[in-house]
Amino acid sequence: MKTLSLQNLSKTYYDLYEGSHHTALHDISLDIPAGEFVSVVGPSGCGKSTILNMVAGFIPHSGGEILVGGQPVKGPGRDRGVVFQSFALFPWKTVLDNVGFGPKMRGVPKAERDEIAREYLAMAGLSHAADRYPNELSGGMQQRVGVVRALANKPDVLLMDEPFASVDAQTRMTLQDELSRIWEERRPTVLFITHDVPEAVFLANRVVVLSKGHVLADVPVPIERPRVWDKLVEDDAFKELSNKVLALVRSA
Amino acid sequence: MNALLPLWSFWVRTSRQWPVLQTLTPFVPVVLLWQAVASWGAFPPAFFPAPMDVVRNFGTLMYKGILPEYLSDSVSRLVAGAAVGMALGIPLGLLIGLSRRAYVALWPVVLFFQAIGDIAWLPILIIWFGFGLTTMAFVIVYTVIFPVIFNTVLGVRSVKIELHRAAQSLGAPPWRILTEVVLPGALPNIVTGLRNGLGYGWRALIAAEMIVGTSGIGFMMFDARRAGSVTEIVLGMIVLGILWYIVDAWVLAPIERATGRRWGLTQ
Ligand SMILES: Nc1ncnc2c1ncn2[C@@H]1O[C@H](COP(=O)(O)OP(=O)(O)OP(=O)(O)O)[C@@H](O)[C@H]1O
Ligand SMILES: [Mg+2]
Repeated sequence: MKTLSLQNLSKTYYDLYEGSHHTALHDISLDIPAGEFVSVVGPSGCGKSTILNMVAGFIPHSGGEILVGGQPVKGPGRDRGVVFQSFALFPWKTVLDNVGFGPKMRGVPKAERDEIAREYLAMAGLSHAADRYPNELSGGMQQRVGVVRALANKPDVLLMDEPFASVDAQTRMTLQDELSRIWEERRPTVLFITHDVPEAVFLANRVVVLSKGHVLADVPVPIERPRVWDKLVEDDAFKELSNKVLALVRSA
Repeated sequence: MNALLPLWSFWVRTSRQWPVLQTLTPFVPVVLLWQAVASWGAFPPAFFPAPMDVVRNFGTLMYKGILPEYLSDSVSRLVAGAAVGMALGIPLGLLIGLSRRAYVALWPVVLFFQAIGDIAWLPILIIWFGFGLTTMAFVIVYTVIFPVIFNTVLGVRSVKIELHRAAQSLGAPPWRILTEVVLPGALPNIVTGLRNGLGYGWRALIAAEMIVGTSGIGFMMFDARRAGSVTEIVLGMIVLGILWYIVDAWVLAPIERATGRRWGLTQ
């Protein structure tokens, strides 16, 4: 696990049709120590996905620096695992081969990467689905595979952009419980983007509130772990903190 | 009504067991109509042969070995042409689909040459290469290549950007993205392109055989015209239809379904 550090990061999009520049992010600075879980929340269009896409190396940044373990980011790389809202599983690969894809790219032999993949699938309770194709799975199962695929590649930092936004409410809570458990077991460094405030608070050590391209607030979450929804739904400290963050987001 | 029900269920069961029945049944009225018109006697048999004349002619040509030889000539030309068309069309389609620059440079040219239909090349091809194999090879490759290019480009573009990004984040270098993401993602479209290309190519080949051929089904039909054998012409037409049906329904369509459907890329 490594630290993730954003220093005076900015992003200006050029609108081809209007022929004008549009600044989506100004001067974002954010430090995520190794093994910390940080959620970023904010109203639609405030630049959450833009941050994640720059950290992942999918789009270039306009100013400032992105450092992973002190090294500047240049393009996508396997040190930063990404979990997508649309799951982005390879439809032509079985679940096992999807999870084994990262190790395969590293040249790990078939038998060994199958073993790695099975171990990670077991962690998410997906052993029975190893030989199925993604389109044969429910949305919740597909996203479990998405998370496990990123983890099996042992990234230094895990990046997630609204990973649970396209599954139903029941499944979402189960997935949040599972992600929380997995984080507690393995302590990856996580940058988690969401617009769901309770989700952000439930999962994170810190919640960063974004507003119109800058950081509005950085709220620590001192709620003890392990965290499970069964205990936290009725927890006063949790509810109070969620309301506080929600108020910040609505003022943003 | 109820009396017909067991009959209907018998038909459903047997036709499911023998799919060939399902294919053949629609032709029963066609053949009956044909026979009826022939026995009506308004046209002389030399002009309008009856079904049995054609069947007899089929027997003779099979016995003499002419039909099998011509058939294998035509089919092997189609297969060779398709192979070359794919070998050129798929890489070109990948290039155009993946590279903005290649698209800008090549697309107008591709469209221009596609507009000049295969047969429109024949006059100049005959001057360049004469009557024969080279000319036919050119025509069939030319016909197959465009649907393959267009569908490959379409297939490459249909691969979602998230899949490229996911592969990159998992550490895939560009050439592995090509083999692990772009090619399989484009495969159902490539097969569709091949299916269309072979369909056009088959027709173009028969036309080319008529004009420049010295063997093959197209040649056989045109030669029969010279000899005034309508029966043989009709036989050639029927062979064309049956052969294409077999290739398309039994070979190409199942491949197309097997790729797309299994992965949920098509319904
Ligand atoms: N490719 C692009 N070209 C131009 N402008 C863009 C582009 N992508 C995003 N933007 C703009 O940048 C701003 C931030 O967009 P971004 O997608 O990061 O928002 P977000 O916080 O993720 O929103 P949401 O919650 O709806 O996903 C928006 O104003 C958006 O219109
Ligand atoms: Mg977004």
